[in-house]
Amino acid sequence: MGRPKALLLFGGEPLVVHIAGVLKRLFHDIVVVAAPEQELPALPVTLVRDEVAYQGPVAGIYYGLRAAKAEIAFVTSCDVPFLNLSLITYLLSQISDYDVVVPYCQGRFQPLHAVYRRSVVPFLAEQLERSELRPIYLYKKVRTREVSEDEIKRLDPDGLSFLNMNTEQEYRDALRCWEELRRGGNAAQDTSAACVVELFSVARLLAKTAKVSLALPQQATLADVLSALAERLPMLVGPVIAPDRRSLTSGNACNINGREFVRDSRIKVNPGDSIFIVSADAGG
Amino acid sequence: MYGFHGRLLHIDLTGQKSSWHELEESRLRAFLGGIGLGTSLLYDFAPPGVEPLSPANPLIFTSAPLAGTGLTTTAKFAVVTKSPLTGFIADSLSSSFFALELKRAGLDALVITGRASSPVYVLVNDGKVEIRDGGQLWGKSAKETESLIRAELQEEAVRVAAIGRAGENRVRFATISNEGRHAGRGGVGAVMGSKKLKAIALRGHDAVCVADPVGVAAIADSMRQRSLGTLTAKYREIGTVANLALFNRLGTLPTRNFQQPTFDHAEALSGESLTENNFSRRHGCACCTIRCERLFKSLTGAEQRLEYETLFALGPLCGIEDPESVIRAAQLCDHYGLDTISTGGTLAWAMECADKGLLPEAQDLGLSFGKAGALLKTISAIAERSGLGALLAEGSRRAAIEVGGESAYWAMHVKGLELPGYEPRSLKTMALGLAVNPRGACHNRSGAYEADFSAQVDRFRADPGRGTLVAASEDFGAVLDSLIVCKFLRKCFTDFYAEAADLLSRVTGWSCSDAELRQVGERINTLKKLFNMREGWQPQDDWLPPRLLGETLPTGVAQGVGLTVNELREMIQGYYRAREWDENGFIPEKKLKELGLPAEVQNVQTV
Repeated sequence: MGRPKALLLFGGEPLVVHIAGVLKRLFHDIVVVAAPEQELPALPVTLVRDEVAYQGPVAGIYYGLRAAKAEIAFVTSCDVPFLNLSLITYLLSQISDYDVVVPYCQGRFQPLHAVYRRSVVPFLAEQLERSELRPIYLYKKVRTREVSEDEIKRLDPDGLSFLNMNTEQEYRDALRCWEELRRGGNAAQDTSAACVVELFSVARLLAKTAKVSLALPQQATLADVLSALAERLPMLVGPVIAPDRRSLTSGNACNINGREFVRDSRIKVNPGDSIFIVSADAGG
Repeated sequence: MYGFHGRLLHIDLTGQKSSWHELEESRLRAFLGGIGLGTSLLYDFAPPGVEPLSPANPLIFTSAPLAGTGLTTTAKFAVVTKSPLTGFIADSLSSSFFALELKRAGLDALVITGRASSPVYVLVNDGKVEIRDGGQLWGKSAKETESLIRAELQEEAVRVAAIGRAGENRVRFATISNEGRHAGRGGVGAVMGSKKLKAIALRGHDAVCVADPVGVAAIADSMRQRSLGTLTAKYREIGTVANLALFNRLGTLPTRNFQQPTFDHAEALSGESLTENNFSRRHGCACCTIRCERLFKSLTGAEQRLEYETLFALGPLCGIEDPESVIRAAQLCDHYGLDTISTGGTLAWAMECADKGLLPEAQDLGLSFGKAGALLKTISAIAERSGLGALLAEGSRRAAIEVGGESAYWAMHVKGLELPGYEPRSLKTMALGLAVNPRGACHNRSGAYEADFSAQVDRFRADPGRGTLVAASEDFGAVLDSLIVCKFLRKCFTDFYAEAADLLSRVTGWSCSDAELRQVGERINTLKKLFNMREGWQPQDDWLPPRLLGETLPTGVAQGVGLTVNELREMIQGYYRAREWDENGFIPEKKLKELGLPAEVQNVQTV
C-alpha cells in the first residue's frame, strides 16, 4: 500500500486507535506489537517491538503473547476496521480445552483473528528458530479448535471481521463501507449494530425476562439504549429507568460487557455490546 | 446522659457474681457504641495474649446510641471478643428485638468473663441479674432455647440470644443467634460455649432518653421515607441473594473453592430464580422499613432465610447446584449455629483436599465438589465435632496445618477467617480490603467492593491509590457499626458524616461535627489494629491466600485476570500510607497521640 495501515484514518482517527478502543471494551490489557522503527500515536496500551524485522505473523503473535499479562489473548492485525465483539466473545468462549481457537473461513485459517493461550509461546519460539513462519505449523502441534464458517456466519454474516486492506482501492472500499454503516444504510449491519441488554435484580423481576436484544442506530449512546429499552419494557420506567427515559434512577447502574461501570449516559455503545442493568448496591 | 445509660454490667461466671460500673462519657464519645465501644472494652478487659477459649477472654455485648430511637434499621447490637478462629479481634453485629431489649435493660454494655462449672443462662430483668441453671437447655438449638426460656420464665416478651450445638462444642466459627439472626463471624458462639453460657435473656423497661426528641423524630421520619425509595429497592424486592447472578456475570462469584469466578449453574441458584420458584415471604428486623430478609421454601415446606453469602458459600463455593440442597444446608447451619461463610469455606477446602487425594477421611465420606449428600452429613459432623467434623470445626487454616502438604494452598482465609463471596482477583479494591482488615477476610467491616462496582476504578487493575479508598471505607463502616445504622441504609444519606453528626448531636446533646465522626471511625479502626498488634499481629498477617496470587481466573469476563505479589504489596503500602502508619503497618506514636489511644503497645514493634 505504501503507507502504514495502522495509521489509515477511519472516522477521523487512526485505525490502530479505533481498534484499541474497540478491544478495550473486552480486554483490560492490550499489547500492540510494532516494527522496530514504526511510528504510532500515543495509546493506552503496552507497546512492544519486533526484535527481528520481517518475520511475519508468527513473530507478531510470539512477541505479543510474550508481553501479555493474561493467560489467554485475542490476536488481531491492525488493518481490520470492522471487528465484531460478539464474534470475539464467542471465540474466547471456546478456549477452555484448547490452546488455540482459530476461525477457518474464506478458504483459509485466520491466524490474526484468533485466540491463543500464552502456553504456546515456546512452540512459537521454536518455529521462529527453525524459520517456520506459517502459523499453521503451530496448529498441528497444540490443541487447536477450528471454528467453522457456519459458526462465524451466525455472528458475522458478511464476514466483515476479516476484511483487511492491502491496496488503496481496498482502503477506499472499506471507507465507503464504514460510511454506509455509520448512516445505518446496510440492513445486515443494522443487525450487528444491535446490543443485548441483560437485566438483573429488580429490573429482571419487573420485566420478567433476563435479556433483550435491541436494534440501535449507528453511533448510538447509552441514552439511546435506555430509550429503546423503555419503549420495549415500559414497566421499567420509574423503578429502573428515569422518567426522562434516557438515564437510570438512583439505585440502578449500568455495566458494559462486564468490564466498565458507566455513569455517563452519553457514552457510545458499540455493536455487539452487552449492557447490564444492575442494582447499584452490591452489598450483602 | 442522653442516648446512653452510662452503665456497664460485668458478670463473672466463675465467681457467679455481677457488678455494675459507670461508663465514662469520654469513652462513649470517643467510641460511640456497637463495635467501637466493644473494641474499647475488649482492649481494656482482655488480658494481653489471652487464650480465646479461656475463661479470661471477655465476651462483650454492646448497645448503641441510636438503638431504641425509632430510627429505621437501628435495632442492632454488637458482640466483641478475641476470636478463636483468628486470634485477633472478632466483632459481629446482630439485630432485631434483642437489640431493643438490651437498651431497655438499662445498660450500654454487658461484659461476661469466667466459666461456669455447669451450663447456665443469664437473665437480666430490669437491672436484676440472675445466673440460672441451663442444663435443660444444653443440646438444644438456639431457636428451641428461646422458646424454652420464655416458657420457663412465663414471659413472652423476654428476648434471648443463644448458642446452638456448634457453640456448645466450641466450633471455632460458631454463631450467637437471636430471633433467627446471627452474630455470625469470627466464632463468638465458641467463646460463649467455652464459658458454658447457653443464653442471655433480657427484659427491661428503661426508657431511652434523647436530647432533642422532636428533631430525632423528624430525622427518623425522613430516613423512613428515604428507605422506601429506589436506593433500597434491591433489598426490599429481592434481597441480597440478587448478588449471585450478577457476580457470576461479572466474573466475581467464587466457585469450587476459588478455582473459578463463574458457576455453570448460577441461573438455578440465582436470587431471581429463587424468587420465582421458592419465595415464601419477606421479613424484617424490628424497627426496620427495608425488611430485606427473604424466606424461601424447601420441598418439605419448611421456610429458610437465605442471604447471598449463605447462598454463595453453600452453593457455588462447594459446587452445589441444587437450590433444595443449599436451602437444607442453610437450615442445618442455622439449627446448629454455624457461620455459613466459614462452614462453606472449610467444606470447600476439604472437598478440594479430597478431590486431590489428600484427605482420605473426606474421600470416605464422599465429600467432593457438587456432592450435596456428603456436604449435609459433614455439616452435622462439624457441629458435633464427630469424625472428620472435629478437624473441620477448627476452620480451614488450622485444619490445613494439621493435614499439611499442599493443603495450605487451598485454605482460602485471611488471618484465619474464611473469605466471603467476592473474588479478589477481579475486584482489586476488595482484594486490598480483605487483606488488611483487622477482622480478617471480611466484607462487612470494609465495603471496599463498592469502589470496584462503580465507575470510580478499573476493578481489574491494581494501584496504590486503592489504600485511600479502603481506609475511607473502613472508617465509614466503623461509624455506621458504632452508631449503629444498618449498612443497607447507607446510600440513603446525602452527606453521611454531616447528617450522622447532626443526628448524634440531637440524640446525645453533644455538639458533634462531621470531622469528629470521621476521627471516631479512624480511632476505632486504629484501636482494632492496636489490639491485634498486642495479640501478636505481624506484617505478614495482612496478606491474601497464595492461590489468589498464583493463578489467573480461568473463566468468564475476567478470564486471564490475576493479582501479582507486587500489585498486592503496593496496594498494602498505599493503605499504610493512607493510614499514616509506617511501611510495615505499625502505628507511629504520633498517630496514637493524635487519636488519644494508648502508646504502650509500641513495645510490640520491637518484638
